[in-house]
Amino acid sequence: MEISVDRANEVLIAKVEGRIDGANAREFEDALNGAIAEDDSKVLLDFGALSYISSAGLRVILLIARLLQKRNAAFALCSLSDPIREVFEISGFDKIISIHDTQAEAVDKIGQ
Amino acid sequence: MRRKLSLRLPTRLDQLERIYEAVDELGESEEWPPGMVYQVKLVLEELGVNIVTHGHANDPEHEFEVVLDSDSETLTIELRDEGPAFNPLTDSPEPDIESGVEDRPVGGLGIYLVRTMMDELSYRRENDKNVLTIVKRKENG
Repeated sequence: MEISVDRANEVLIAKVEGRIDGANAREFEDALNGAIAEDDSKVLLDFGALSYISSAGLRVILLIARLLQKRNAAFALCSLSDPIREVFEISGFDKIISIHDTQAEAVDKIGQ
Repeated sequence: MRRKLSLRLPTRLDQLERIYEAVDELGESEEWPPGMVYQVKLVLEELGVNIVTHGHANDPEHEFEVVLDSDSETLTIELRDEGPAFNPLTDSPEPDIESGVEDRPVGGLGIYLVRTMMDELSYRRENDKNVLTIVKRKENG
């Protein structure tokens, strides 16, 4: 799993590549916490290059969503593959986190 | 075509990789529909992590078994472990999938994903082992 970070329209874009499972979910959590600065008010996770996520990864997503909500920061996901989207839908995460088809659409929605 | 793969593994987290490799191989040779390889790997990760962490964590004396039996219509998975009795159909609470971000409990989704993604689950306790049989029909992949 690798995370690369970019900023556009004041949106922090973290592109996640590879897989997030029980073996590396902690590493994913640490990497995200390291990437998100305290004054980031808009955070987007781009899952376009993510091949797999299990409940261990969902746990981290929920913790990050909670942290950002406390800071009144916007949080969104984009570019989920069909199986990953299914995992988010079954878990009801699509009701609490906004999910966009493309990075451009997401930046447009949550950016300025 | 019908193909069956059996694995007998020490209850260690690093052994799950061998299950994923078996799923990849079987999914390719048996031409599972797109998405089904992902679902089966996820189900075996969720259940495998439970077996290893709640069962005999890192005790090399203990093993668990995975049998994958794939035919033209159906994949049948059988999991056997020597851990304490655990019936995922009745011993795992329904997760909260409705509350907002703040109130939603962290965790508890693994078994729910298993129950939702697969078509049939049945559990029995046999000779001090948990035996879980899972059916996934390819048409629902």
